[in-house]
Formats: sequence, C-alpha cells, structure tokens
Amino acid sequence: METALQWARGPIFWTAFAFMILGLLRLVVITVLDIRHIMRDAGDKSLPVGQLIRTTLSWLFPVRRFTHRITYSLTTIIFHVSIIIVPIFLGSHVMLWERSIGLSWPTLSTTVADVLTILAVVTALAIVVQRTIFADARRLSRFQDYAIPLLIAVPFASGFVAMHPTMNPFPYEATMLVHVMSANILFILIPFSKISHCLLLPFTQFVSEAAWRFPSDCGTQVAVALGKEKQPV
Amino acid sequence: MSTRDKYAYYIEERTLNVTERPRRFLEAFAAVLNSSSYGPALDTYTRLTTHCGRCAVSCQLYDVTRDPQDIPCERSEMLLKVYRRYFTRAGLFKARLFDDFTLTDEYLDQMADAYYRCTACRRCKLTCPIGIDHGLITHLGRYLLAEIEVIPKALVVATREQLEGVGNTSAIPAAALTDTCEFLEEELMDMYNLPAKYPIDVEDAEYVFFPAVSDFLLEANTLMGNAAVMHVTGGSWTIGTGNFDGINYGLFYSDRMLERIVKNIAGEVRRLKGKKVLVGECGHATRSAWFVPTFGGPDAPEVVNCMQYAYQQLKAGKLPLKDEKITERVTYHDPCNIARNGRITEEPRELLKAICSDFVEMTPNRTENYCCGGGGGTVSIDEIREFRTGPLGKRKADQIRATGAKYVVAPCANCKKQLREVCEDNDLPDVEVVGLHDLLLRVIDYTGFTEEKAETDTDAAEDLLKPVKEGVEA
Repeated sequence: METALQWARGPIFWTAFAFMILGLLRLVVITVLDIRHIMRDAGDKSLPVGQLIRTTLSWLFPVRRFTHRITYSLTTIIFHVSIIIVPIFLGSHVMLWERSIGLSWPTLSTTVADVLTILAVVTALAIVVQRTIFADARRLSRFQDYAIPLLIAVPFASGFVAMHPTMNPFPYEATMLVHVMSANILFILIPFSKISHCLLLPFTQFVSEAAWRFPSDCGTQVAVALGKEKQPV
Repeated sequence: MSTRDKYAYYIEERTLNVTERPRRFLEAFAAVLNSSSYGPALDTYTRLTTHCGRCAVSCQLYDVTRDPQDIPCERSEMLLKVYRRYFTRAGLFKARLFDDFTLTDEYLDQMADAYYRCTACRRCKLTCPIGIDHGLITHLGRYLLAEIEVIPKALVVATREQLEGVGNTSAIPAAALTDTCEFLEEELMDMYNLPAKYPIDVEDAEYVFFPAVSDFLLEANTLMGNAAVMHVTGGSWTIGTGNFDGINYGLFYSDRMLERIVKNIAGEVRRLKGKKVLVGECGHATRSAWFVPTFGGPDAPEVVNCMQYAYQQLKAGKLPLKDEKITERVTYHDPCNIARNGRITEEPRELLKAICSDFVEMTPNRTENYCCGGGGGTVSIDEIREFRTGPLGKRKADQIRATGAKYVVAPCANCKKQLREVCEDNDLPDVEVVGLHDLLLRVIDYTGFTEEKAETDTDAAEDLLKPVKEGVEA
C-alpha cells in the first residue's frame, strides 16, 4: 500500500498532471490558431472584441445570471467555485508544491477549506439529482454528464475524510490512495472531456463570433466542390 | 430490418443503412467545412457542450410545446452528432471499434423537421454558459439540408425569382417599380403636399436604397415614410432598377445563395457609383447586408439601416417634428436579426420616444426580446401558419397583450406579416402592426417643405423653361 501510494503521488501524479497541462495547452493553441486562421481568410475582418470580452467575463463571473432556475444556477456556481478554489489553495497542497518545486502562495484556513470541500461534494451530488429531476435536463444528459460530477466528488470526499481521521472508517493510506488516484484519473480525462472548458471557456465566445466570418467566396467554393456551379437554384 | 432477415449471411448493420441522401449530405458537409469558418466552432462545441439544459428555459417554442426536439441543445446535438461521427478522429476511431451511429434518411428527415421548427432567433445563445451559438448550428444544418434539396418551397421559389427570374423575390419588373414610386409620390403630394421623390437610377448618390421588396406591394406607408425622411433631411439617395430588393433568403437556408445575393447588392451600388447601402425596415435584410463586407470585396460599401439614418438626422436636429405627438399607446418589437447582437436597439427607441407620448416596453426587450415567431424564413411558409401563430407565436401574443398597446412598431417586413397573423389568431383584433416610418410619416413637420398643387408647380416650371425651349427651337 505504502509503495502504491508513493507511486500514485510521485511518478503517476506528475505524468497525469503534465498530461493535463499539455493537453489543455494543445487545445488552447489549436483554438487560437483556428480563430487566427478564420480571421485571415475572412472577407469581414472586424470582431466586436469589447462586446465579446464583456460577454465572456459575464460568464466567468456569473453574478447576474440568476434569472431562471435559481437553485440549479446556484448549485452549479457553488460547485465550480469550490472545486476551483480548494485544490489550488488548500494548505497541505501548497505545502506539497513548496516541497517539490519551491513555490508557495497564500492558503485557505482549514475551516473555509472544510466548508468548501463539503459544498463541493454536496453540490456535485445535487447536480446529479437535479439532472434527474428536470425533464429537459434529464433528456439531455448523457452517461458522462452523471459520471463526471460523481467522479469529481471522489477526491473531495476522500480528501476530506483523510484530513479528519476521527470521521474516517477506512485506513488512512487507502483513503489517500483513492484521493490521489481519482485526481490522477481526472487530470488525464480533463483534456479529452467537457471539463476542458476550464481553460477553453474564455475563447468560446470568440469562436462562435468568428464562425460567422466567412471567406468572401465560401459559397462559390462549395458550389465548385459539389459540381453545382451551373446548376439552377 | 435486421440483417438476418435480409441476408442469409451476416453483414454489418450499417451497410443496410447506406443510401444516397446521407452520402450527398456528408459530401456537402465536407465541402462546407473546407471552405467556410464553421469547423473550429463545431470542434469547440463537440468538445465542450455540457448539456446543462439552461437553454431550455430561454426557448419560446420549447416553453410552449415541451417537445424535447425543441430544446436548443438537443436540436444542435443532432448535427454535432453527425460531425463527431464523421469528421473527428475520435468519432472515426469509435466507429471502427463499435457499430456506431450511422446517418440515415430517417435521421435527415428528423433533422429537417427540427431545424425548420427553430426560427434561428438565437435567443438561446444568450443563456448558454459555454457560448454555443445554436442559431449558427440551425443556419448550418439548413444549409447542408439545402444541398440535398430539403428546402421549404416558399423560400426556394422566391430565391429562384430573385437570382434567375425578374430579379427580386416579389417578381416586380422595373417598369412596375417606377409606376409604384410615381404613385407613392402622388400620394405624398395628395396627403401632405410634399414633393418628395423616389430618385430612380441616380448615379453618385450617397445611399442606394434596398427595402424588402414586398414593401412596394404591402407597406406603402413605410416607403412613404422613408421618402419623407429623405426629403426633409435632404438625403442623397436612389433606388436602382437593376436591383432593388433587400430580401435575402440565403440567410435562412444557404450560404451559397447568401453570397450571390449580397454580391448582387454590392454590384448594384457600384453600378450606380453609390457610397452606402441603405436598408429599409427589415431585420433579416439588414443582417444579410451586414455580410456586404464579407462578400463585397475590399472596397465594400458601408451598410446603414434606415432607422439609424433617421436617428442620426434627429440627433443632428435635421428631422423636424410636429408638436403634437402620437397619443395612442405604442410598443416596440425588436426584430431578432438586428437586436439580438445588440447592434440596433436604441435608435428606434429614441425615435419613438421623440414622437410618441405613451411609449411602453415589452418585457423582455432589446437583446432578450422574444422572436415574432416567424423568424428564419418560416413566416413565408403559409402551410405552417397554425404552428407559427400557435406554439411559436404564443409568447409574443402574451407579450403584446400585456403592454395594452394600440400600435406595435415592428421595423421588419417578416415580423410585420407574422405579427399581424399572430394578433389575428390570438384574439388581439385591436392591435395595429406598423413600421417605424409609418409613424414618422405622420409626425414630421412638413412646414417649409410643402408645395402648392402639382398643376401650379408644373405651370411655373413651364414658364421658367419657356425661354429655354424657344431658344432651342430658334
């Protein structure tokens, strides 16, 4: 068990983490190059940049987005906030970073971290429950839409019980192994799954707008490719 | 039919489903991906779509029908599924491993149904946290369907007339246009003593005018309002007999047609050596004209909507208004094509506030406004009127009823037709749907611009010309 844990938090973690970073960077580079490519060929080279940045920011900080289904919106927002903040600013995580690469940054107090961790687990479950309650969300949901929030809940739940040995019915090392390995699996999944929106979201509004910037002969080219130049309407 | 029933030996399930239409659909898809800008958006959407369901609450159609195929995300998924399966590596790989989804005739029919139930109003885009433009997907889906000849007849017949027939969607010959303009000039003279002209084929004008051509048949007041505004503000404008139709159904079903029609508009402006495109009161005509920079080449003319022009003139103090305002309650309907992206929302409101004493807003309004229910060309399809004014138009009817307005101002030819039918079918007989320029026509202060009866005018001109004529004869 000891060796397994050491592997999990050592080489496996580094591989998975590097995989996530490189995978996400690859997606960002592809997306940015795609937008540049479109704009280079576009007949109309104007983009309402200010408006796009405002829209993007309004989704990154969705403080005014509570107009419909307040519980659902609130659940997802709390979920996002806690799963972003806790792993990055948890004291024991920062300590690990400091020990390995020598960098450190401000940390959360234990109480705040505990509250946010519990919120993360609860909201992850609540998302799954709400997906089954609302008929339209249920209809739209695929397997991964249920699996991913549940998978995300695992490292938070296991991390929480590992930090509170009195509440933990399992051996410490087994708990930590589950904690580290579930996180490793998530790191690998991130670039391949919808979770990649964690880094791509700032670009999506631009992609959507750029998609309307056609090359000046896009229609003619399609007609030529399909042999329809002479074909009547 | 299971494979066992058809053949004695086993063949893969997908072999049975291969037919001609799906193949052509995929060929068209490939061609479009090669030469348009949709690819990166589709990549991003297939990667990121979270299926959160937020868009369900913003769709006015789903709100009424509760039919799952009307949830914007579900509808977009129909096309994204095809893209994922046939145009991404992951999809091709998955198809090799498993007997994956195959595009069938039946699937295409479902898609066609779903993509013409949507009006492409793009309201759902505002509520998508990921930023997926479901209107873009509807636009693309219809384009691809058009390549396998699935197009509502009403749209394709009008486009045929415009590109290969008389030259405009209403099949109005140039001579009839001139007659109509003369008639409108006489009307303006009769009603207001206003000697406004519709300058035909005048070169070097600042604005070349492109209204929805159906206005010449149906919206005389709007066009008279346009002429009155141009006259009192001294605007330099003209209508070209080569092309005087702003309507562009290409926006609704095919980028190929969109490109051709936009290029014709830019070409007419060049022929007349005009400087700008002046679009009449029409939402989709304006949005299509905004593609002039895309298709019109490097020196593409600028595009101005007539409401923007009128507002500029009002602001500059060049649009004289009477002291008496319109007292009946007036509300404003934002056409999706100009308001959804926030490009034209304030100009018409400023104009209306200047001319009406009882202006009320619909809720929601501006970028979040509900579609009239006839967007995306569906208004031209008379067969589906019941669906348009029922499930699609119900929200709009409720909105109008709540304002208690007498006049609904809808600066769009399509919205006007649809809203009139919505009011008729939803028990709102007292509501009158008008254009913004219809009202402007009534409140412009013509003092200083009028002329006495036409005869005296002609006589005076005769007198002036007499010496010249004599000189010529001598």
